[in-house]
Amino acid sequence: MIDYLALAPEIIIAATAVVVLLADLWLVRKYWTAIIAVVGTTAAAIPLIVMAVSPVGDRVLFDGSYVVDPFALVMKGVFLMAGYVVLLMSFSYVESDRYYEGEYYFLLLVSILGSLVLGSARDLIGLFIGIELVASPMYVLAGFRKGDLKSNEAALKYYLLGVLASALLLYGSSFVFGLTGALTFDGIASAAGGLVHEPAFVMAVLFILAGIGFKVSAVPFHFWAPDTYEGAPTPITAYLSVSSKAAGFVALLAVVYRAFGPASATWAPVVWVMAALSMTIANLAALKQDNIVRMLAYSSISHAGFMLVPFVVAPYVGVEGLGNAVAATVTYLVIYAFMNLGAFALVIAGSRKSGSGTVDGWAGMATYAPGLAFLGAVFFFGLAGIPPLAGWFAKFVMFRAVLTAGSGWAVGLAVIAALNSVVAIYYYARVVKAMWMDPVPATVPGIEVREAAVPVPLALALGITAAIVLVVGAVPGLVTFFSDATKVLAGGG
Amino acid sequence: MAWFDNGWGLSLIVFLPIAGALVILLAPKKNLTAIKSFGLMFTALPVLLAAVMIARFDYGHASTFQFGTNLSWIASINARYHIGIDGISFPLLVLSTVLTLLAVIYTFNHWPEPYNPKAFMALILVLGTAMNGTFVALDLVLFFVFFELVLLPMYFMIGIWGDKTMMKVPGFKIEAETRLYAAIKFFVFTLFGSAFMLLGFLALYYRSGDFLASGARTFDIPTLIDLGSQGLFTGTFAFLVFGALFLGFAVKVPMWPLHTWLPDAHTAAPTVGSVLLAGILLKLGSYGFIRISLPILPQEAHRWAPAIAILAVIGIIYGALACLAQTDMKRLIAFSSVGHMGFVMLGISTLTVVGINAAVIGMVAHGLITGLLFFVAGSMAHRYHTREMAKLGGNQTLMPKMGAILSFTAIASLGLPGLAGFWGEFMSLVGSYNPAFGLDLGVFRTAMVFGAIGTVLTAGYMLWMLQRVNLGVPSAEWDSHALIDTDVYELTAWVPLMVLIVAVGVFPKLVFGATNGAVVALVAKAFGG
Amino acid sequence: MVFAAEEVMVHATDGGWLAQWAWLIVVAPFVAMVAIVFFGKRMPRKGGEVAVGAMGFVFVYAAALLILNITKGVIYQHSIQVAQLGNVSVEWGWVVDGLSTMMYFVVGILSFLVFTYAIGYMKGDVRETWFFAAFSLFVGSMLVLVSAPNLIQLIVGWEGVGLSSYLLIGHYWEEKENSSAGMKAFYTNKIADVGLIIGAIVLGTAVGSFRYSDILDAAASNSSVLVPVAVLGGVLLFIGAMGKSAQFPFHVWLPDAMAGPTPVSSLMHAATMVTAGVYLVARMYPLYAGMASDMRVLIVIIGTVTLLIAGLLAIVQDDLKRVLAYSTVSQLGYMVAALGAGGYTAGLFHLWTHAFFKGLLFLTAGSIIHAVHSNNMSDMGGLRKQMPVTFWSFTSASLALVAIIPFAGFFSKDEILATLGNNGYTWAMWIGILGAFITAFYMGRAMFLTFFGSYKGEAHVHESPGVMAVPMAILAVASLIAGWVNIPGVYEGFHHWVTGRAIAFPSFSTEGFDVPVMLTGLGFALAGIIVAYFVYFRDAETQQARDRVRIPVLWPLLEHKYYLDDLYLATLINPIKGPIARAVNWTNSYIIDGIVNGAGVVARILARFVYGDLDQKGIDLAVNTAAIVTGSAGGQARRLQTGKVQQYAAMTVAGAVLLVIAIVIFT
Repeated sequence: MIDYLALAPEIIIAATAVVVLLADLWLVRKYWTAIIAVVGTTAAAIPLIVMAVSPVGDRVLFDGSYVVDPFALVMKGVFLMAGYVVLLMSFSYVESDRYYEGEYYFLLLVSILGSLVLGSARDLIGLFIGIELVASPMYVLAGFRKGDLKSNEAALKYYLLGVLASALLLYGSSFVFGLTGALTFDGIASAAGGLVHEPAFVMAVLFILAGIGFKVSAVPFHFWAPDTYEGAPTPITAYLSVSSKAAGFVALLAVVYRAFGPASATWAPVVWVMAALSMTIANLAALKQDNIVRMLAYSSISHAGFMLVPFVVAPYVGVEGLGNAVAATVTYLVIYAFMNLGAFALVIAGSRKSGSGTVDGWAGMATYAPGLAFLGAVFFFGLAGIPPLAGWFAKFVMFRAVLTAGSGWAVGLAVIAALNSVVAIYYYARVVKAMWMDPVPATVPGIEVREAAVPVPLALALGITAAIVLVVGAVPGLVTFFSDATKVLAGGG
Repeated sequence: MAWFDNGWGLSLIVFLPIAGALVILLAPKKNLTAIKSFGLMFTALPVLLAAVMIARFDYGHASTFQFGTNLSWIASINARYHIGIDGISFPLLVLSTVLTLLAVIYTFNHWPEPYNPKAFMALILVLGTAMNGTFVALDLVLFFVFFELVLLPMYFMIGIWGDKTMMKVPGFKIEAETRLYAAIKFFVFTLFGSAFMLLGFLALYYRSGDFLASGARTFDIPTLIDLGSQGLFTGTFAFLVFGALFLGFAVKVPMWPLHTWLPDAHTAAPTVGSVLLAGILLKLGSYGFIRISLPILPQEAHRWAPAIAILAVIGIIYGALACLAQTDMKRLIAFSSVGHMGFVMLGISTLTVVGINAAVIGMVAHGLITGLLFFVAGSMAHRYHTREMAKLGGNQTLMPKMGAILSFTAIASLGLPGLAGFWGEFMSLVGSYNPAFGLDLGVFRTAMVFGAIGTVLTAGYMLWMLQRVNLGVPSAEWDSHALIDTDVYELTAWVPLMVLIVAVGVFPKLVFGATNGAVVALVAKAFGG
Repeated sequence: MVFAAEEVMVHATDGGWLAQWAWLIVVAPFVAMVAIVFFGKRMPRKGGEVAVGAMGFVFVYAAALLILNITKGVIYQHSIQVAQLGNVSVEWGWVVDGLSTMMYFVVGILSFLVFTYAIGYMKGDVRETWFFAAFSLFVGSMLVLVSAPNLIQLIVGWEGVGLSSYLLIGHYWEEKENSSAGMKAFYTNKIADVGLIIGAIVLGTAVGSFRYSDILDAAASNSSVLVPVAVLGGVLLFIGAMGKSAQFPFHVWLPDAMAGPTPVSSLMHAATMVTAGVYLVARMYPLYAGMASDMRVLIVIIGTVTLLIAGLLAIVQDDLKRVLAYSTVSQLGYMVAALGAGGYTAGLFHLWTHAFFKGLLFLTAGSIIHAVHSNNMSDMGGLRKQMPVTFWSFTSASLALVAIIPFAGFFSKDEILATLGNNGYTWAMWIGILGAFITAFYMGRAMFLTFFGSYKGEAHVHESPGVMAVPMAILAVASLIAGWVNIPGVYEGFHHWVTGRAIAFPSFSTEGFDVPVMLTGLGFALAGIIVAYFVYFRDAETQQARDRVRIPVLWPLLEHKYYLDDLYLATLINPIKGPIARAVNWTNSYIIDGIVNGAGVVARILARFVYGDLDQKGIDLAVNTAAIVTGSAGGQARRLQTGKVQQYAAMTVAGAVLLVIAIVIFT
């Protein structure tokens, strides 16, 4: 007997996707598709809440390959909210250009579905399905600005490299299956302990890390990100930089902590290198960016690095420490999600008003759009991690987690992270500086464009994200309440 | 009044300003009166509350934290909303509330360019909350948040309303607008320090778990002090932690050679910015040393003390000499802070009751005096449209009141006995003649001698500044200008400071009466008397 | 309420209400100052009346105290604690004993007379009100200093005096020289104060209290805590004293202090500033008499050197006030030498007499300058007819200074010479006697050049108004009789006044008349006058012609003040103000700040490299790897805008390879 409640969110999203597709055929007013999509996403949240409050514990399906535990619930919640915000951002954006709206929302919903699946996947197959389900629609959506060569190119690059990554992932998975004879993470975990020194196993772990590393766009698997982010439609970029990255991290968390938990000594060093490189390389590269989206692309890469930092303590700490590590990454992920979504929403709004997507183009925005300038300070300094904006807490828990391990390696990484968080100020502050302290450039469009009201959905997206960034900054407990629940993934909590 | 004593009083003092900032953000941009009156209200109320505290504070138990509360804040990391004041933080809290209020009053008719009262007033208020909060925080995380909260408002103040002239970055082919250069420099410099400070905090947090019976780790400052006074934090660990905290605090103080953000920031900032920057922000660093570094890591403090003393004295002499080379009045005053804070740090480094008392009164005095100096310098620049001392001169003739106040403040600043500035300098010298047991007498007594010589140099540049700015015959170029002497807003903002400078100078118990008990207890606990 | 000041009373022998309320004389001048600052401008005499009133009060009260001391003797000390830091206690208070009473009286009477004089002298001055405010502050600070029961309060008054002297000397600050003179005075004192402050700290810390009573008790009782630092402390305090009392080599500020209005000079030289150093040594006398006696010879040397070199300098001055200034320095030398030689009474006695006649000399000088509108004797001559009061006053004062019996100076100077002689400082005594000659010579010169011969100036000369004349007349009398309070064998009251101290005092009696020394001294003095008469009395076309004697090597040396100022400028002031300060500033902006900015620049360069070369171009380098690993020559891909896909792929794979290496390294 299958627990359909456990699957309800996925089912609802899937249904909505189909409805959108059909509605697109009959309805003349295309924006209805959007509304349906929003309603669907909202509806999907209901079963989540029901499950969250229900006394029933973890819901295990298909012999443990599909589990709805607090971790899953929280992550699904995040995915739904992120998707919701992205939908809000999409409204006016999609209208403004000649898009196939129906398809757009259909594909977006499918991707969201994939992320939901990922949240619960506890075996390699579910993992792979989830990841592909998240990625494939993005291959199309990345190139949705049909007229624009950049967009096409973005899509193509994303596609080719994505496939390569999937190949690596699959290849590694097959090895694992061959060596352990298990597909479920717990099954693998029970066998993994003995294989630590088996080169083939190490290889497998490595390929899987590489595959997921691509999804989370960690250095050195990040090369696609800047071009793709720049080319793709901005809401999609937002989605890529938040949901698909989050999906990647969910997969990573599940795989390394659950499946490869015993082999942490094998993968932790790899993650160490990935983290250090991601933070440093991306931060330095970001310093040179003039295009805000491209800058955000590199910033998101460096944030991936920060999120990887807690992983490295795995070999040194007990269950509690692992739990903290998971919670830290999740906390960071959640806070980052809203700051970054807000930043991209701001990019959409700001680019409309200033008629430019470059830092210099936004100069003096405070004079004609003080509201946006204020939000700019909120989101960009939030990303920089300056109190009282939520970002500080993300950084804080990250440092807290990594320092659990007394080891010099961990402290070393913490210092690298600290220095990077200082470097990051430069490029975030540069945007704010332009908005607040520089004179308005000649390129800025006329008054009617400049002072046009921000479309309601977009304003809503900005409002939600900003509110969360400000409130969470003052009361971080709101996030930890959920992220602490995710410690179960590491068997702790 | 139970509600008042159980945290509400302090919490109001801390959060009223930021609440005011929110109110002002809602107020219509055009309605200047609303903005002014809200600003006044939300900074005056804290002063009144502080006044009530002065009356209710239990001076007999100055070492216990009073008016405090301890509520859950971030449960999952056991960071708590733990606040309270003792004899050490109390005077600084009062100073910060008062200076904020005076800054608001002064701003009423000194809106810097680009004119944007709403934003500017809001920033002052946010700053107020940040500063008050830092002095009352008794939880490392809380302290960290408030400590960092000062960054944003100050960054915007300097960056938006700062000095718009172009400057060449010495030694590089870089041209930059002073305000922008100074703003980001201040921001990054401070953040660099506090990033390491945070690591230090976390390290303490983890180590605390090993010693607490419950095994639960804590950010609670009093608890950590208890552990520290038992000498539990030791070895390389403690050394590195102290170093990390040192970076964080020393940048803020600032101690030589981490001071170079200061002259630029102070010079570029709008008047009110400079006043609060010099008046309060610098104190956050030295306060951090007294509140956190010394009591939690006594052995390390003892190990680092000579180094701190030496850096402090270098700061004193170096700052004074740098002042002698300045041509820009505001920059000269800015550099003088390096020297004055040097005395504060010298006092702290002695680890003695006298020295630390000296440090606290030194902070208060510097807040009053240098704050006033920046007020006056700002008003003069406002009228003359230049800060070049070569162009000024004869100000005493053109603006007698302004000149008199400038002279008074400058003389106070050179540490004239009988005015507030003297006690910090003299007592820190007393302390360093006879530092804590086991500290190298050679180092500290040499430090004392150089410190004393520093007072001569201080007198040197201060009087020289007066001669160049105030005295002599005014140059002809000012004949055309209609120079108005001090206006009512300026006097309202300045007279209280002058009164306090005299009062503290003549009756130092105003400060020592609160600090001594706390300092004695601190030293006894950390360094065994 | 903790802020209530706790009162501490020590050694409170009798004294009654007069002593208990003595703090009023300290406060009065400050009250006057505040009143003048706020209301002075609206008053008919621009606030002068308030000041004079206050000084009158001080004078009367001080006189009462003096009488009390003479009749009953009073030793009273009252302290109010205003701060407590650990075991250090900060206290304000007042001492009423023989020494302070004498000083109160000197300060009181001279302030009163000089302020009255100033009413006339400063009439219509640019900053009349401000002058009287600062002048009151001057006296007030001096009284704080004198009344201090502890070293901290002494320092407060001490520096207060320094500050007010800065303000008053620079009174005419439109002229840069004047404000510079003020600064010079302040700096010189401030440098010497380093000694005072450290000395105070050394002694105070050793004894655990900054009170004189405690320190001197320790000194008297030979306490072991004080022994190791006694000499050091003594020397350091004396350095401070050298600054205020203008002892060589700190004397340079005093002559320049002439830039101030003449009443200031008068009070400064007589009572309220230069006497402070002597007072300090006298106050700490039990220390110098006991434990620190080893360093007393240093005091004698400094004093003697000062009295000699300053006396010589006085000979070549043309500015009348400078003559007097250097004579002050020289007389201070006498006092210091006396104290050093063990002549507690002698030194103070000379301080006492000197106060009257030197105060008067400056008042007369002021009156002359007021009349001829010049400081220079070259513009004077033959003034005795037009200015009788001034002339007779000047004469009386001069005779006192030159120490002609029975004028005041005679008794005190003789006391000093006797002390020097009897305490084994014969060489010092002879220098003192030589000094007497020099004194007589330059005073004679001043006298003849100013009042005799024919008038060489332009201005219309007239006697000063009554408000100035009366104080001069009074002091003229004082200059005659002030010395009669301590005539050995006749009446030795002064000795008893000033030895009435709380502290166990090394007992010694005043020196009896040492007839040979007395006669020699007197002889040299007369000789000086006579020589001066032959050299300067005869009139001539110009004053320069009268002032013709020039000793080859000595005169140029003296005219350049022994090149001391030039030395200080060249070796100390200018280097610090100039090169050193600039060097520090340069270091700041180019080295320290250079590192900071450098870090920023490096970050930017690194960024360019990482982004440009590594992140973008560097990929091309990996194309070959791509060819090997992927095996597919990326032909089609090249048609893209920027054919990078397969390069990215290559990098991705390369990344995986890199991670393998990482593993090898780490595990």
